[in-house]
Amino acid sequence: MFVLGFFCIGLLLIILQTTIFMVHPVWSGAPDFYFILVAYLAYRHDLLRSLIILLPLAMIFDVLSGLVLGMYPALFLLGFFTLKFLSDRLPVRESLYQIPMIGVVYLLVSWIVYVCISLAVSDLMVPWSWPVMLLRALLVALFAFPLFRFFDFFSRSIETRFSGMKRPRVQGGNRYRE
Amino acid sequence: MRKKGTRKAKGKFRALRLVVLIGFLLTMALIFLVSTLGSQKFGPLHELLFEAAGPFQNFLAKGAEGIRSFKQDYVGLLTVRQENKRLKAELQECRKLSFRSREALATNTRLRKLLDFKETSRLPMVAARIIGKDPSVWFRSVIIDRGSRDGVAKGMAVINGDGVVGQIYAVSPNFSKVLLAVAPSSAMDVLIQKSRVRGILKGTGALTYRLDYILKTMDVKEGDHVVSAGYGGIFPTGLPIGVVSKVRKKRRGMFLEIEVTPAVDFLTLEDLLVIEQEVVPVQGDHKPLLPSSGQ
Repeated sequence: MFVLGFFCIGLLLIILQTTIFMVHPVWSGAPDFYFILVAYLAYRHDLLRSLIILLPLAMIFDVLSGLVLGMYPALFLLGFFTLKFLSDRLPVRESLYQIPMIGVVYLLVSWIVYVCISLAVSDLMVPWSWPVMLLRALLVALFAFPLFRFFDFFSRSIETRFSGMKRPRVQGGNRYRE
Repeated sequence: MRKKGTRKAKGKFRALRLVVLIGFLLTMALIFLVSTLGSQKFGPLHELLFEAAGPFQNFLAKGAEGIRSFKQDYVGLLTVRQENKRLKAELQECRKLSFRSREALATNTRLRKLLDFKETSRLPMVAARIIGKDPSVWFRSVIIDRGSRDGVAKGMAVINGDGVVGQIYAVSPNFSKVLLAVAPSSAMDVLIQKSRVRGILKGTGALTYRLDYILKTMDVKEGDHVVSAGYGGIFPTGLPIGVVSKVRKKRRGMFLEIEVTPAVDFLTLEDLLVIEQEVVPVQGDHKPLLPSSGQ
């Protein structure tokens, strides 16, 4: 249920990003919601469930965006494992550090993927622009807080409902004494 | 006893005074009545009475008018809120209608342009609508609502009423991905309309093209129109592509540096036409540089 719920949310975010948030085909101000979902799953959930959610979403993104197949799975996985590593090894569990960290990792991962593709195929992509990429990283960091709150709320509500369905009802008090 | 007598005499005197007064008044009234009825003249007394009664009458009439007006205003105030609500709703409806009319007018103009283009070119075309845009900052592509079921195939030219938009990059049964002409990976054979000089037009990723391989000796000026060359069989000859906006002659190198402003407004792209013409690659001609899509 959790996997399906987050997959649907991811799909909705992808559709929003490719329609409403893209004002015109050369618009640079669309926030990369997918990376916020990647970060959320890396920070808060286990590896298996996160990968089950992220891989199909990355493939969908690959179809809808870009010309290099496999670019988005690489971005998703690289981002996911970098953030997971940082959250496990460094003292960045506080949400105060987590949100700027998402922006920084987004920028780093994007740069690595861009360099790799540029080395493999020339003249395929729009030249790298630091102002544009910094704006995108800022947008990711800005949207991270409200989306994290929403994901938390969604996650909690799914878990509550699911656990309520799964667990047998426990009756309070000693009913034999009454 | 004497006191009782005095009081009685006083009472009688008072009654007598009253009777005399009433008698006097009645007599006067009788005289006035008889004289008025007899002469039928509007005398000074009448005028006096008239003048005396006038202000009161005026005051009362104004008061009544005020009360009536107040009552009307109050009742009006009670209904004015409802009237206001109704008018606001009506205004909202009118605005909505006006917006829809404007939108319909704009769509009509756009589609008429496309239809005119379709009719004049006599090429097999299918109309398509943009349903999604590439959110990446590194690529320039859009998704359209037509696919292989509608006869769309990879490599087909995509245009609109203003000129060349791009090429089909990947196709599924109902949808296609269009690589925009402004994408850095896009390139096409073009001609300068006036001088018939041939070059290769490349996308820059921004809202301009770069025209390559035009020798410094060629006559190219700002404002020259650039059209498709028609080599390779993808884009028909003479499709508008853009206007030369900058020409730079560098000291080194054989070629001019030319910037072209697109004929198509990529910021307002909505409705497109896919030219359903089979793509026949011609040997020796420059083909559009489409990377393989895994179609």
